[in-house]
Amino acid sequence: MTNYGLVIDQERCIGCQACAVSCKQENNVPMGQFWNRVLTEGGEKMDTPSGGYPEDGGSGSLDMQYQPTACQHCENAPCVKVCPVNATYTRDDGIVEIDYDKCIGCRYCMAACPYNARVFNWDEPEHMPEEGTGDVEARPQGVVEKCTFCSHRVEDGLDPACVVNCPADARIFGDLDDETSTVSKYINEYETDQLLEDRGTKPKTHYISGEMSPGRPQTSDKMESELDDVSPWSDGDDDVPSKEADSVGSESSSSSHSVEGGEIPYATPAKSGGDD
Amino acid sequence: MAAKTGSSRVAIPSFGGKGKLWIGLLVALMIAGLAAWGYQLTTGLIATGMRNVFSWGLYIMMFVLFVGLSAGGLIISSAPKFFHSHRYEGFARLGVLVSLACIIVAGLLILPDIGRPGRLYQFFTSPDFRSPMVWDFGIVLLYGLLNLWYLWLLTRRDLAARGSSLALGFKNTEAGRDRDRTLMFWTAAVALPTAVALHSVTGWIFATQVGRGDWFSPLVAPVFIAKALVSGLGLLLIVSVLADRYTNFEVDREELTSLGKILGIFLAFHVVYLLAAERLPHAWADHFEFWAIMSNFLIGDSVYFWLWTVVGGAVPLAMLALPPLRKRVSVIFTASVLAVVGTMFEGIRLVFTGYEVANIDSAPGISLGGEYTGITTDIWATAGAYTPTLVEIAVTLGIIAFGALIVTLGLKYVPIQRVDAEPSYATDGGKQDQ
Ligand code: SF4
Ligand code: SF4
Repeated sequence: MTNYGLVIDQERCIGCQACAVSCKQENNVPMGQFWNRVLTEGGEKMDTPSGGYPEDGGSGSLDMQYQPTACQHCENAPCVKVCPVNATYTRDDGIVEIDYDKCIGCRYCMAACPYNARVFNWDEPEHMPEEGTGDVEARPQGVVEKCTFCSHRVEDGLDPACVVNCPADARIFGDLDDETSTVSKYINEYETDQLLEDRGTKPKTHYISGEMSPGRPQTSDKMESELDDVSPWSDGDDDVPSKEADSVGSESSSSSHSVEGGEIPYATPAKSGGDD
Repeated sequence: MAAKTGSSRVAIPSFGGKGKLWIGLLVALMIAGLAAWGYQLTTGLIATGMRNVFSWGLYIMMFVLFVGLSAGGLIISSAPKFFHSHRYEGFARLGVLVSLACIIVAGLLILPDIGRPGRLYQFFTSPDFRSPMVWDFGIVLLYGLLNLWYLWLLTRRDLAARGSSLALGFKNTEAGRDRDRTLMFWTAAVALPTAVALHSVTGWIFATQVGRGDWFSPLVAPVFIAKALVSGLGLLLIVSVLADRYTNFEVDREELTSLGKILGIFLAFHVVYLLAAERLPHAWADHFEFWAIMSNFLIGDSVYFWLWTVVGGAVPLAMLALPPLRKRVSVIFTASVLAVVGTMFEGIRLVFTGYEVANIDSAPGISLGGEYTGITTDIWATAGAYTPTLVEIAVTLGIIAFGALIVTLGLKYVPIQRVDAEPSYATDGGKQDQ
């Protein structure tokens, strides 16, 4: 069975907010709301480190990291269990989604989610531009909404917008049940954490920190499983892709990211266990 | 027709000037509440003080309070019946009436909290039985119906004797009264576990949640039961003293004092014992020195904590414990008011402990979906803050006024006490134990 998950390499993340912005655009997220936020682990304010400067008498302990945070698509999702009317449910492919037709707006799921991943339409949602962006279902006033792993894209074989638009290749989407997928491999090979692991929600978003992974360079909008040649760069003994993305990809509507013939996708191949 | 009817008393034979003024006030509050709800329906819940981090507010706090308040009356009237005793007979009907009003208020308070009340039918068409809210929905409904049935059962023969159409065709016969006594025993037998279930399930709405600080505690359900005993009995005492003063309802002084004593015991169990049981392990685990443990154990942090434990706990407890004071009606009344107010602040505190702190509070934080009225000017927050708006207060008061109206009309149309205190009108589910 398919069980979608996300790996975020915090060592690669440069805090550019591209995922947050592309999420907002792709999903027509109302003004005043964010499904995906890039948090600064460090100082009090965004983009500020904690600790002291490495100057005379200072501690030189400056430290900062970015933590992109959206719905973690928990396996033992409390939001699914509390929803009285089955509006929030887990799909067969593991994505936690909301049926906006059913949602009564009781906000029990917001109380249940330990990650504050959910937002509520307190008034009539406003969009900029007014007619909205993206090609997704409209959400009325009075319902809860959140990240869907871009299920509308996934159904078309495309990676979530945040993954495609990450310029640092820090976001990797794929099937956790497939042992050969990059997400599965990285979870095995690198030290990964889940947020608030102690709560037992079993999030399907895993964070790499400590040692940088090679990421998964985007050669097209397509999901890894849709590509013929499955991310050879994640494999220690086969660093260079042997074949570019299949030319069938050019027939698909979205080819802005696809690789021109013969071109090797930009990637810094790193041997697992390597230290850079 | 049976001869031995005894006679029953209606607390308000007819409304005088003051009574009409009171009803007028309640109706005005209800209209204001409806208007406020209408406004909230059109503008959305943005009209409330709730936002994305602090996403439940006054409505849920008051829901918790009124579920608790609905306990006292039913327990005071059904517990003696279950043990075939006549104790507190004079409070039985008023108690059930107050319970009924409170559970209706509690149920109605959920409505304005719902983002799309028009979809509430989904509770029937698409329920998820894993959700504690579904359990609670069921038990609140059941409890409300049970109260209604019980009140009618307690009074239907007297209603018949008075020729009231509310008897729904039942006759006032001796055989009928006998049958009712058996029914009352069985209703009492069902009512007690239902009340326990109601308060536990309401507690579990919170206690099952891993993401909201102190909510995730196995103690929450027992605390909800204790809270219900304290506030429910407190409210029953308040209402009976008021009814004694302003209507023909008569309070038996000796029984009132005795119930006051029971309230003291409930308070001691709740505020002293359960609170200590909840706090000590944390204080002990978090601190090293003896005095650090002790002060952390004894001293709470938020103002709600103090309002609850001192104003709503220690003070009324002292009032009900001191021999020279505890027999005075005014003291019992004040202590009851304080106990109810204290319980209210305990509920407020519970919701605050869940939302005040965000588990992940790195900058910039969580998008609010609108500004916190008057608190921040941007859409981000790293902690929860909440102040109810006038709209929320108006809606809440309107619903509470509706509850008060139910009690008032009940005092007018339901024979609330037996005049002869006919001894045989206790339950007869088995052997009479006297
Ligand atoms: S992160 Fe929150 S909203 Fe997403 S699945 Fe987990 S509990 Fe539900
Ligand atoms: S707000 Fe909607 S999705 Fe959330 S628990 Fe209530 S009905 Fe379910």
